Amino acid sequence: MTAAATRPSESPEAATRERSGSPARPALLVVGAVGLVVTAWLVCNAFLAFAYYPQWFLNSKILIGALGLLVGIGGAVVFFRFLNMIIEGLPSRLGEGLIPYAFLLPALSLLGLMLIYPTAQTVVYSFANDDSTEWAGLANYRAIFGSGEFWQALLNNFLWILIVPIITVAFGLAVAVLADKLSPQGERISKSLIFLPMSISFVGASTIWGLVYAYSSPDSAQTGLLNAVVTTLGGDPQPWMQIDTARLNSLLLMVILIWLQTGFAMVLISSAIKGVPEDTVEAGRMDGASEVRIFWQIIFPQVRPTLVAVFITVLILVLKVFDIIYVMTNGRDNSDVIANLFFRKLFVDQQAGQASAIVVVLLLLVVPILIFQVRSYQSQEANR
Amino acid sequence: MDRRPSRRAVMTGTAAVAAVGMTGCLQNPDPSRGGGGGGTEKYTEGDVPGPGTVSVLGAFGGQEEEAFMASLASFEEETGVTVQYTPDQDFTTTIQQRVNSGDAPDVALFPQPGGLFDLAAKGYVTAIDSFLDYDALDSTLIPGFLDSARYQGRVYGAPMRLACKSLIWYPKKAYEKGGYSEKPATMQELYDIADEIKAGGIAPWSDAWNADQATGWVGTDWIEEFMLRVHGPEVYDDWIYHRIPFNSPEVVEVFDILGELLKTDGNVLGGPTTILNTPFSEAPLPLFEDPARAMFVRQGNFVTGFLPEDILANMDEELGVFAMPPWEGGFEGQPILGGGDLAALFTLNDDTVALMKFLTAPEFGAEWAQAGGWLSPHKTFDPAHYADETTRRVAEIASSAEVFRYDGSDVMPNAVGGGSFWSGMIDWLNDSKTAQQVCDEIEAGWPQ
Repeated sequence: MTAAATRPSESPEAATRERSGSPARPALLVVGAVGLVVTAWLVCNAFLAFAYYPQWFLNSKILIGALGLLVGIGGAVVFFRFLNMIIEGLPSRLGEGLIPYAFLLPALSLLGLMLIYPTAQTVVYSFANDDSTEWAGLANYRAIFGSGEFWQALLNNFLWILIVPIITVAFGLAVAVLADKLSPQGERISKSLIFLPMSISFVGASTIWGLVYAYSSPDSAQTGLLNAVVTTLGGDPQPWMQIDTARLNSLLLMVILIWLQTGFAMVLISSAIKGVPEDTVEAGRMDGASEVRIFWQIIFPQVRPTLVAVFITVLILVLKVFDIIYVMTNGRDNSDVIANLFFRKLFVDQQAGQASAIVVVLLLLVVPILIFQVRSYQSQEANR
Repeated sequence: MDRRPSRRAVMTGTAAVAAVGMTGCLQNPDPSRGGGGGGTEKYTEGDVPGPGTVSVLGAFGGQEEEAFMASLASFEEETGVTVQYTPDQDFTTTIQQRVNSGDAPDVALFPQPGGLFDLAAKGYVTAIDSFLDYDALDSTLIPGFLDSARYQGRVYGAPMRLACKSLIWYPKKAYEKGGYSEKPATMQELYDIADEIKAGGIAPWSDAWNADQATGWVGTDWIEEFMLRVHGPEVYDDWIYHRIPFNSPEVVEVFDILGELLKTDGNVLGGPTTILNTPFSEAPLPLFEDPARAMFVRQGNFVTGFLPEDILANMDEELGVFAMPPWEGGFEGQPILGGGDLAALFTLNDDTVALMKFLTAPEFGAEWAQAGGWLSPHKTFDPAHYADETTRRVAEIASSAEVFRYDGSDVMPNAVGGGSFWSGMIDWLNDSKTAQQVCDEIEAGWPQ
């Protein structure tokens, strides 16, 4: 990667030579490049040796750990030394331009290794067979688009996207506005209570709500809160998680996520409301506007960028939603979503090809939203 | 500063090219083999001297681990070999990862044969006939047990623990008060008893399937029990090894037979909705309420672990058990469905072979039997070692079985046995799909 990163700079080098200050120093360049390659080779082989020949290191895990630390950190230091040497060997004009990139290189390569490489790999594997050993053409995409469960999951994801972010933001806004009118003491307490679920993990929250939705046979005591309420009011207990009429089970699952995320929305929106300059509100009051009108025409436009940011953050979270469905229903009774379907395809059915195809579709759905989010952040920054 | 975008473009382009360059290849279909195993010739003692320690990976921990180590004490004393046992909750995944990365344990105790077959196919496991006396082992084991670990003609795992599934449990006191027969000779006779119980005003059966992500496995056990009884062991084997399609008429017929039992009104406490929403561990609870709300639970021998404490304290007086009887007009003879831990050998040397011999000896496990929760896979194991009468009774049922078959869903590929078969059972029980639809879908999803 290093070689690739420095190579494109060599052609402009010729063009800029006449204009640049200090000329290239080829000796330094060669020493640096050779040193770089040798260091990388040594470090890689040292780590392979730890794995393949533990007997060379007396089979001692402590020794291997210590050596690993030494080789890893020491190797990185030496690597940077040689990298610096290459830059110094370049003509000064070019070198100065390249220095930030050279020192960003490790971070960028990690990003590439952990993010870009797996993404590209997943796209590639989506055209391969179940254990990624042979090309399968478009068979995986044909299989997933032809299966009912994929469309069910997609429909459910669509419902999640449609319902959860908007309600979360609405609740967050309502709570933030109303809490703002309370006494400082009351505001603190009510906000803390609403923020509390944020600190619960998705799996923990699902377990809690599993108790709320629990079902016992009609002739026994109802341990589920919701069914206890229903039976007290004279109704029959319902197996909530099994009712897919009007996607009731999915809606009940969404309640969990809304419960978790309202606190997050509230905190951000509340701070935005507090940031609305008092004189604008005061001016409205002087002109005799009602509180409702002040909210919609003075406060709301000023907190809108925050609302959009919160909305999009929750939206992306919703697209990735997995834990709640996995714990509560595992996609039974038409409550599946794309992330859970992917997990099942990969780890239960062991069909890596179709699983990859499913996440590629998910990726395609997320990308436009990500771009929109980056744009809206940028425009927000520009307005400041 | 007009050069900036172009430089950024160069960087982006470089990164993209590098990423694509690294990914544009497929995985190696035949990863190189690491570690030992795979030997085919007969092993004789002294071929490879042992290092003095044997590492063992298994799925059970806690009390079971203690009991296991206690039963190994005499082995360690006699041979001077140290056994390092590592329990792993996520055994099924861990063993695949460790073996594939060249870090296999010397011996692994597989709770299901499925994962064992995968590793045997790749040549990591040594077949047991190369170091154990196969015929002697076969003669003391419950008939048919070794077949469950057979892969392409050779057996790769030696049973060291038995789980017995074909058991019907009842609350002894309430049952005796009702005066019902304790020895139904056929399923049909059992149905007659169930009708009597129904006439007495309560549901005869209690059943529960919910196991979170694994919901459905209890249902697959039901289907396996009936496959074995109605069509016999040969068709059963054809079915689990996919020599007949999953949607063949025999299988669909068994779904319908089970449907009559589970879906008929008043047969099972609460009906299908309750079955699907109750954790499987709670199935026996209604039997011990006062008055009892159901009389029968069909479940494996592990069910005793879920009983209320006061029942557990005097289990022998409270809990009755008999084998799920044969089907009239089906296979003649008592079949038993079960499971068990299979010991597989990855490193061949004197110490590991000695341990395998010890683990698979018919006498192994007296200490473990005392501690409870363990059944010997050998017919010849002395029942006096078991801690209570109920366990002795279960051991007797298992060892007098005319045919033993391994839990079929554990043998099928994971996509079926841990996926579509489970979800199919749910869809079938709550009537969102017919038996034919479910079987067709499972057949269509069977890995090639």
